[in-house]
Amino acid sequence: MNTLCAIIVSRGLDEMLRFCLKSFFESADQLYDSVEVIIADNSSPRPYTESSLSERRIRVLRFDVQTRFAVACNRCVKECETEKLIFLNNDVFLDRSSLNKMLQNSCRAGIGVVGSWLYFPDGRVQHRGVVFGHGDIGPYHLSRGQFLDPRSPFEEYQAVTGACLMVNRSLFNQLGGFNESYQFGLEDIDFCLRVRQYGYRVVCANAGRPMHFESFTPGRVELDGPSRQLFLEHWRGKYTIDG
Amino acid sequence: MIYYFVPDITIFGGIKVAYQFVDALNLLGVPAVIASPQGRAATWFLSHAAVVDAEAARDMFRTEDIAIFSLPHDYERLRNLPGKVFYHCMGTDPLIDPILKDPSVEVLTCWKQAQEYVLSHGVKRPFDVGISISPSFSYAGEPKYERAVAYMPRRGRELCESVMNTCSSVRYIKIDGMAENEVARVMKSCSIFLATAEDEWYGLPALEAMSSGCVVVSVPVIGGMEYLHNGINCRVAGLLDFTDVVNGLLSPESAFLRFRLRQSAIATSKNYTFTRMLNRISGLLNGPLSSLKKY
Repeated sequence: MNTLCAIIVSRGLDEMLRFCLKSFFESADQLYDSVEVIIADNSSPRPYTESSLSERRIRVLRFDVQTRFAVACNRCVKECETEKLIFLNNDVFLDRSSLNKMLQNSCRAGIGVVGSWLYFPDGRVQHRGVVFGHGDIGPYHLSRGQFLDPRSPFEEYQAVTGACLMVNRSLFNQLGGFNESYQFGLEDIDFCLRVRQYGYRVVCANAGRPMHFESFTPGRVELDGPSRQLFLEHWRGKYTIDG
Repeated sequence: MIYYFVPDITIFGGIKVAYQFVDALNLLGVPAVIASPQGRAATWFLSHAAVVDAEAARDMFRTEDIAIFSLPHDYERLRNLPGKVFYHCMGTDPLIDPILKDPSVEVLTCWKQAQEYVLSHGVKRPFDVGISISPSFSYAGEPKYERAVAYMPRRGRELCESVMNTCSSVRYIKIDGMAENEVARVMKSCSIFLATAEDEWYGLPALEAMSSGCVVVSVPVIGGMEYLHNGINCRVAGLLDFTDVVNGLLSPESAFLRFRLRQSAIATSKNYTFTRMLNRISGLLNGPLSSLKKY
């Protein structure tokens, strides 16, 4: 049975989340036998309720204290039993073709993680894969902010963003999930690097025009610094340079 | 899983070829990683290979895994691993003969002379997986300074100095300890590249220089003669007449010769693109090396 669970860590931004869910269900319903969503309500000032989200396939896990992304995601994964997981940010709007392409790629042998090209609302590229620069440059989004059209149906990278990341639940658990040491940010890159160490491929699919507003949650960007420092402490000199 | 064991991360052609091979396998859908001491990654060239700790890789090695190595000294450490072992031959020192005589070790080669050596000294038929030049060296008409000469002093320093003492009106640019993209930038801006390393097995830098549009002046090498064709795409000169050859090439009357050699060199380098190497490996994976794909 073809089953998918979307895990969305969200704080406030009720309208954004509503559109995120709408686009997800519209895209997923025709591709999967069973679809569900687990929302980690990361101490929203006004808590989400399952009834207010008006969809019986949504479950809400409330965190009263603001919780690290990795911790919230790992906790959500324990709650679901589906074969495939997709981690989504609440400001990512998928479409059917992009989700379909991710699904196709995730079913191919040897592929561990599938990301997707994501676009800013004005059509510029937000994400097409993460590459790594020398020294303190570290990981960064390739072609971010450029107007660009994809040239191939998928590309292989060392990492993709966790804003839209599909993985088999068995592989996620095999690796122990996201590293919970990260405050907020780069746990996705850390995860992808570990996936590749097990010989699995990380690819970024492209189809349709999935949208990502990026870092809309208030206070989100301030947490990048400590995560980046931790990432470099852990991985500096242990990844190859491709950007 | 394929573990390609490398000895370190230093600037040495064999390291780059190892990562290049793993990159190619990954692109063809074969799970492979670099196994390096302390899991350290070489960062002086572009690659997207994943790197794991070599010791941990040896500890968790399973019967279905494959070990590849290119440094002969690693043979003793890896030969008793439970899975299959491949030797990636990047030099034909007699030191490798015991490896070639071990029937349990499969052999990969990168060039013709190594292929012939393995055939004559070994017990298994080798698989020629080829070698490729990074796209960063591909010359696209960047401005060249006709009186700039690039050289690598690491081997053949005396010969480099002899040339510099004789042809003093030229700008010499030393390539030493640079990252690959910087090397490519230097080579693309230079007219001539001095390949002074005697007993070089192959000489990937000279091939990269050809791709960068340099006229290569090389001492005779061992395996690299498959791409060095004296007077056609480069000049090959012995120690005694090396300086004279460089001098002659630098003269104003040799401008057309330099142009002709440069064009031929670039054409030769097209035989060593990553795409061609991928096609070659893909052919092997669909044929005699198909067993690699199931891992």
